[in-house]
Amino acid sequence: MKKGKTYGEAVTRLEEIVASLERGGKGLDETLQLYEEGAVLLKQCQEDLNSAEGKLNELRLEDIEKEITKD
Amino acid sequence: MRGSSDLTTGPLSIGNFVNLIRQTVKQDQLFQNQAIKGEVSQWKQYPSGHTYFTLRDNVGQMSAVIWQGRCSIDSSIKEGSEVVVIASVDLYSKQGRIQLVVDKIEPVNAIGKMEEALRKLKLKLHQEGIFDRPRKQLPLIPKHIAIVTGTGSAALSDMNRLIENRWPGLRRTIIGVLVQGENSVQEIVRGLAVARKLSEPEIASQRNQPPVDVIIIGRGGGSPEDLWSFNLEPVARAIIASKIPVISAVGHESDLLVSDMVADIRASTPSNAIERCVPDYNAIQMQLTDYSERIDSATIRQFSDARSRLKLLTSMLKAAPMAGINNAKIKIQKIAMRLNNSSRSIISQENSRIARLEASLNAVHPQRVLERGYSMIQNDSGEVLSKIKQLSVGQNIKMSFADGEAEANIVNLDKKER
Repeated sequence: MKKGKTYGEAVTRLEEIVASLERGGKGLDETLQLYEEGAVLLKQCQEDLNSAEGKLNELRLEDIEKEITKD
Repeated sequence: MRGSSDLTTGPLSIGNFVNLIRQTVKQDQLFQNQAIKGEVSQWKQYPSGHTYFTLRDNVGQMSAVIWQGRCSIDSSIKEGSEVVVIASVDLYSKQGRIQLVVDKIEPVNAIGKMEEALRKLKLKLHQEGIFDRPRKQLPLIPKHIAIVTGTGSAALSDMNRLIENRWPGLRRTIIGVLVQGENSVQEIVRGLAVARKLSEPEIASQRNQPPVDVIIIGRGGGSPEDLWSFNLEPVARAIIASKIPVISAVGHESDLLVSDMVADIRASTPSNAIERCVPDYNAIQMQLTDYSERIDSATIRQFSDARSRLKLLTSMLKAAPMAGINNAKIKIQKIAMRLNNSSRSIISQENSRIARLEASLNAVHPQRVLERGYSMIQNDSGEVLSKIKQLSVGQNIKMSFADGEAEANIVNLDKKER
């Protein structure tokens, strides 16, 4: 995740943002700021989910050892 | 009893009787899968692959068989060896001979040696503080799982199926190794070394993949000796050396091995390892959608609250001058009312004054005077005559009474002397 937030940290912050917005009583500027921060975090989380997808490599020990050591 | 009921139909055949004994023996848990210790005698391995021997001690003995391929037989076992067998009692009907069918056989000294080595390893690791060291946390979303396990094993297909159920297409690298037998320790150690390598960012970027962030080392269930490699120091050291979390998932729930004890997470089975480290994709998506919707609706609510507050303020501002006018109107109305009230009282005062005046005027009205018995005399031109000197003899006068008028002629005048 960009800006050094792990998925877990991003989710924790998202929970804070949701709770804070739902509590209400914020100024419009602050509301907008929280909204934008939330939107950025959600996008990052979504990218994180997408980045977990990849191909399945099934390799024999000897093959992968060769592959790694040749570099 | 079945035997006695059969008596009604005559004597039992010996074959049926022996089979009855066999059934009884096989149904009794005490005689099945029992661990039995004794000394090997008449040890004979036949070309068919079956092994026959007698298990004995000072008190008793029984013949035993190990069917071909049933279990591995330690090459050190020979005539006179002390062994432990896991065996079930069976009756060979044809010969009426009772025998032990062996599922496992271990020389007592070998088991003793392995147990002793395990005890020492645990003590050593304990003294090093390995069991007390802080364990690494699993990432919430694993981006690249390395699975070190037997190629083509049931455990691997279970894990793959479970991953596809929970997170289709999750990136993983499977490193196939031997998980039992003589070479397994060395292969497991090499497999773990490869997995650790793949967790290094430089290696990962050369391979154009995210670094491995979880390692699963495991295999399905088996006998203690099948799983024994996971009780050995090289495997333990290879797990401890990892900078990323390692899940040990060996055998069944009840098997606790050194690899389980030193790993960051102990999974009861390979499938459990997947449940522990692969979240449910749909659940995560739903959670993100939930956050997104709640952020949206809370923000919209904040804005609409602000908008309705603004509306209220605006209408209050707009109403402000009107309110001034209204106040003035009310004030004027109040003043008018007071004016009205006071003018009414003035009028009524005046009215009663007028009434009083009227009354006194009425009292002096000529008509009233006439009514009291006086009469009024006027000349021809209507002048009221009140003095004798206004009259002359022969003059016509008009006399007014309360109820009528009369005309008269003056015949005499008699002036009063003053």
